Amino acid sequence: MPERRVLKRQLLKAEGWRDTKLGMWAWLAQRVAAVALVAVIALHLQNPFVRTVQALLLGLVLLHGLLGVRAILLDFGLPVRWHRALLAAALGLGAVIFVVVWGWRWY
Amino acid sequence: MVLKVFRWAPGAREQLQEYTIPVQEGMTVLDALVDAQRRLDPTLAFRYACRVGMCGSCAMVIDGRERWACRTLLSKLGSGPVTVRPLYHFPLIRDLVVDMTPFKEKMVAVGAAFVPDEGAAVFAEVGGDSRERRRIDGAIECIGCGMCVSACTMVAHDARFAGPAAFNRVFTLEEDSRDAGQGERRARLLEEDALIRCHGQGNCTEVCPMEISPTDSILALRRRVVSRLLG
Repeated sequence: MPERRVLKRQLLKAEGWRDTKLGMWAWLAQRVAAVALVAVIALHLQNPFVRTVQALLLGLVLLHGLLGVRAILLDFGLPVRWHRALLAAALGLGAVIFVVVWGWRWY
Repeated sequence: MVLKVFRWAPGAREQLQEYTIPVQEGMTVLDALVDAQRRLDPTLAFRYACRVGMCGSCAMVIDGRERWACRTLLSKLGSGPVTVRPLYHFPLIRDLVVDMTPFKEKMVAVGAAFVPDEGAAVFAEVGGDSRERRRIDGAIECIGCGMCVSACTMVAHDARFAGPAAFNRVFTLEEDSRDAGQGERRARLLEEDALIRCHGQGNCTEVCPMEISPTDSILALRRRVVSRLLG
């Protein structure tokens, strides 16, 4: 029986990340934001008044949520060729909402 | 120009072997590989057939991206060394040559084969401007090069996932009124290693040389099976 060897991208080497596509980055960013949110929520619950943690929480919620909306829109039939525009829209809208909410002091 | 080529054979250690190739205007990666094989190293193994971007048999990973070597101009790859590796997620035979057998096996496993409807006309008429034809049109030009399978991270994660090309083919069949295999295919599409495994990263769509979007096909299939489930 000849040796059967199947190559996969090696994620611990630069070659494995070469030419990583935008859709892949969008998917990864949403997953990383989800994991980071768990840690940031834990920090926020310990002391809700730390401004840095508040900013991180808001930023991560927006990133995770809006990238999720992008994925849902694609799932529901928006053409995949729009995925770059949807990513730009999600990031742009996220930045605008962040600035508006962060600038709006209600306490 | 320096070509860094993945070399491996059963029982040998893998290496990136460097070949210095004199570049000529209009030279492709395939031209460079042929030059290296004829002039420098007759043991270098790679696959090609048509040389004009029709058959897809020269698919390989060039500078980190799945491309057909015969249509990739060296001048478009920048001035640095060009790295050439075999397709990912296929069993290696030697150097740049992979075994494409799993490509067909996965197609069969997921039911991506036409099942003729008994009693149907031998020659079906599907109008070019019909809704059915328009829905399928963008997905029927697959040449079976395997680039989408190589680019798919979910194939790497789950070897049982049939991959983009197989589900793209299933999509064309599910939308085909002449096909009678839809009932039999339904359970397979709902399995955990089938449609649900696609995470919509779109890597397959990015690399398809025929500009097919398997991601769109998979998402359309998902909507179809969910609609059926919900009645």
